[in-house]
Amino acid sequence: MATGSESQTDDLSTRDEESGAGEIEARVGLRYTLKQVKRDTTARIGIYTVGFVTLVALLAAIDYYLFDYAVAEAVWYSPVRDPDQVNRLLPPVGMENQFGAGAIEHPMGTDHRGRDVFVRLFYGTRIAITVGFMATGIGLIGGTLIGSVSGYYGGWIDDLLQRVTETVYAIPFLVLVIAFMTAFGRDLTFAMIGVGITSIPVFNRLIRSRVVSIREEDYIEAARAAGVKDRNIIFRHVIPNSFAPVLVQATLQIGVSILIVAGLSFLGFGAQPPTPSWGQMLSASRNYMLPAPTFSLFPGIAILITVIGFNILGDGLQDALDPRINN
Amino acid sequence: MGLLRYTLWRLVQSIPVLIGIITITFFLANQIPGDPVEIMLGPSPAQEQVEAIQARYGLDRPAHERYLTYLSGVASGDLGQSIYYDRPVLEMILLRLPVTLYLTVSAFMFAIATAIPLGVISAKRRNKPADHVSRIVSLVGVSTPSFWIGLMLIIVFAFYLGWFPARGLPLPWEAPADIRGAETQLQVIRTSLHHLAMPMVALGTLQMAQITRIERSSMVESLQGEYVKLARAYGVPESTIVRKHAFQVAQLPVITIIGLGLSTALGGAVLTETVFEIQGMGRLIITAINNQDYELIMGTTFMFGVAFVVGVIITDVAYAYIDPRVAYGDE
Amino acid sequence: MSEPLLSVDNLKTQFFTEDGTVRAVDGISFDVYEGEIVGLVGESGAGKSVATSSILRLVDSPGEIVGGEITFKGETIFGLEEGDDGEPRPRDDMLSEKEMRRRIRGREIAIIFQDPMESLNPVFTVGGQLREFIEINRDLSGEEAEEEAIDMLREVGIPAPESRYDEYPHQFSGGMRQRVLIAMALACQPDLIIADEPTTALDVTVEGQILEMVTELQEKYDTSFIWVTHDMSVVAEICDRVNVMYLGEIIEHAEVDDLFYETKHPYTQALLDSMPRPDKTVHELDPIKGVMPEAIDPPSGCRFHSRCPHAREVCREVHPEQRDLADEGEPTHSAACVMYDAFEVGYEESRPIETEATGGFSAGLTETGDGE
Repeated sequence: MATGSESQTDDLSTRDEESGAGEIEARVGLRYTLKQVKRDTTARIGIYTVGFVTLVALLAAIDYYLFDYAVAEAVWYSPVRDPDQVNRLLPPVGMENQFGAGAIEHPMGTDHRGRDVFVRLFYGTRIAITVGFMATGIGLIGGTLIGSVSGYYGGWIDDLLQRVTETVYAIPFLVLVIAFMTAFGRDLTFAMIGVGITSIPVFNRLIRSRVVSIREEDYIEAARAAGVKDRNIIFRHVIPNSFAPVLVQATLQIGVSILIVAGLSFLGFGAQPPTPSWGQMLSASRNYMLPAPTFSLFPGIAILITVIGFNILGDGLQDALDPRINN
Repeated sequence: MGLLRYTLWRLVQSIPVLIGIITITFFLANQIPGDPVEIMLGPSPAQEQVEAIQARYGLDRPAHERYLTYLSGVASGDLGQSIYYDRPVLEMILLRLPVTLYLTVSAFMFAIATAIPLGVISAKRRNKPADHVSRIVSLVGVSTPSFWIGLMLIIVFAFYLGWFPARGLPLPWEAPADIRGAETQLQVIRTSLHHLAMPMVALGTLQMAQITRIERSSMVESLQGEYVKLARAYGVPESTIVRKHAFQVAQLPVITIIGLGLSTALGGAVLTETVFEIQGMGRLIITAINNQDYELIMGTTFMFGVAFVVGVIITDVAYAYIDPRVAYGDE
Repeated sequence: MSEPLLSVDNLKTQFFTEDGTVRAVDGISFDVYEGEIVGLVGESGAGKSVATSSILRLVDSPGEIVGGEITFKGETIFGLEEGDDGEPRPRDDMLSEKEMRRRIRGREIAIIFQDPMESLNPVFTVGGQLREFIEINRDLSGEEAEEEAIDMLREVGIPAPESRYDEYPHQFSGGMRQRVLIAMALACQPDLIIADEPTTALDVTVEGQILEMVTELQEKYDTSFIWVTHDMSVVAEICDRVNVMYLGEIIEHAEVDDLFYETKHPYTQALLDSMPRPDKTVHELDPIKGVMPEAIDPPSGCRFHSRCPHAREVCREVHPEQRDLADEGEPTHSAACVMYDAFEVGYEESRPIETEATGGFSAGLTETGDGE
């Protein structure tokens, strides 16, 4: 064994022990995370991308909820209403297709109903981000509840819950969400709930394995002996201890959820026309691939950039929060 | 012997999961709004017609009774009747399943064949240019929607370059008479592969990226293993170490990921089949849903579950084959 | 004894880490003659394992051998010369990487690693792994190698070797796996075996059996051993000569009896005092005070001075080189400690200093002193 690496790990472990409980708390907390992320270049790129996309989504959401697209309409084009002029499916500026030449006011061209693609992409961000966070939130909360109860109590509760999640996981999740939406509703709300439910097993497995290992720790035994309620033990000790891996998984899961919901919208499950969503724009573009190929290009790039942002952030967080795994 | 017993044990274990899948499917199908009779017979049918249909599909009986009937039906290989196609569900599935399996299995073969060399090279040249390229490729791969890759492939390779056909997927074992422009079986196979190329890449890219990532990290870890140090100390050539000693151990997490990736790939097949207009299981379930064909919805959903469960068992057995610790008990 | 089998001279191996250069092995010299077991003793982190991997030229990045010379049977495993640009470069007679792999590793120098649980590849059969190494290093055909492998398993005391040949490592106990590793080393018929703490992970009974077996086999095959350990009782049991390492340096070297009965260096003494013995109760045991400093920033002067009960001002300033302190005609017994007159640096006149071991200005200055 190389002395170099030995002394490095020794160094880390002694730092841990010496600094005591307060520091351990800090190592899993939010402030510690942010500090680590600042030091890691990959994580920083990820956080900038995610921050940018989220900001765009926020602006779109404000306009949508408070002004019903009035702001966008005032300064530019309506993302939902058909414009008066009928020059349909214009290409991006600088290009030409059978419908005419791209115009400067439509930097990315127009869609099949003459609406500005750029404005629709802008509003699509709101849906993608909402869906990503909501679906992941549902999966996270559901998975944490099931995983911690299952891992903490063990026995038949554990067996039952694990068999159920295993079964849910056994149906390919896109198929399951489609079946779920057919049963309950085809709109975006059920897409989020459906995707959220299918991501429960991911968090369940993560939390459960950590709970099982933490359950046997001395300080949990001590807390239990001291009469601390089970629920309090789970929420005060077990869950905070799983902060780092759950954060990493959740970040990655947001990207996955955005991809799945885009796919659902592409199939006609999810945001319904005329609501601007990326997946649904791609679905509409299918009929115009030959005359207007760029119509299919931009929504895909928007999805790619958004999801890549979350994936880079997830990878970066993993590196930053787990010093032992160094790539 | 150990391996065979393990396989059987895994098969037995999957029975409750399959029953669970049926239960979930039945429950969901039961929630679907709308009246199937109305869909079949139009808005104002004659009373006798309605009763006849209800009796035929058992719609007049309570849900738990129908559930038990359905369960025993599935056990005896009867998945019910498709209202839309007016054929047994199983018949429709057997017609479409081979297409989806052909597509999915090819996508995985493509993914594995590209990902393993990419991941191994990446691990061997950690933090060198080749590694960076491979990591960027896999990062983009896991972040791109598969159906969009399909659209882009069609625009570039079908519409502009005209290299590959944009729609359909004939099976390589179909009769030459059924395929336009094919006279011999060899030509059928060629046509089939020609159609396969783009959907395979579209569906396989995500898997490729995921496998590359796992292959890399797993190989990096394995190359630092004590057994690699031992092999080096005994003069085993570096190439043998990479190909044999480190490689085989490193494949264990890769196999696990392939098993789990099956879920994504089978779901992704629904999208890929839509993009390339392939008549497989994915299109079947969408058609079933759009026509509120209950038993077909249940049957296809169940079959997707079965495909995934069987796939996972295959990967588990492959895992046990490589890792003797699984099949031979302890540790 | 004429020419040494292996000769290590002023070997330096360093690790270039982000935090700085770790001088894991800092100028050690020792010889191994034919048929003897040489001990390399010290606490973990002293650089023992780095020293042994340096001998095989298998130091992992970011580590690198930066100086010194290693000669084995007249061949240069490692050697530098000054290049045209004044920078050191490998000498022409230094064995190439390919020659090391084909002629030295396994074939001439074999190694037994510390961790029998991790050292065997979990996905291959024990016999298969053994056979592969024999094939590579003995030029035997597959069948002959298999026969040899089974014989060797029998030799190291594995019952029913024919059937166990096809079993996997997880089906073996820790002790049995260590026997397999020993079989690997012996089966390649090397002239030198490096045993890197091979019994540390085992319980005491098994350790005893293995030491006994190694002693027997060593006599039978007349193989030389470098036995790396932190355990003085193991040293006493099997070593002929011993080198004691502290923080990358060898601070004492002697024949095994001399080391135990005429201990020179305070560190060696401290190691011996901390060793459990039947004639001492736990309370009488005297663990070494403090922890070993980091090799990245070793203490000035004598590296042990921060933990030494006899440390004086001069220890902080003078870095002692090993000197032979044996009487004329006696076998070499060298130590690196300025406490001895031979060093002539004015230890007696120097003021005692406060260290982790003294816990203040201790009065017990010459407890062991010049105990000759």
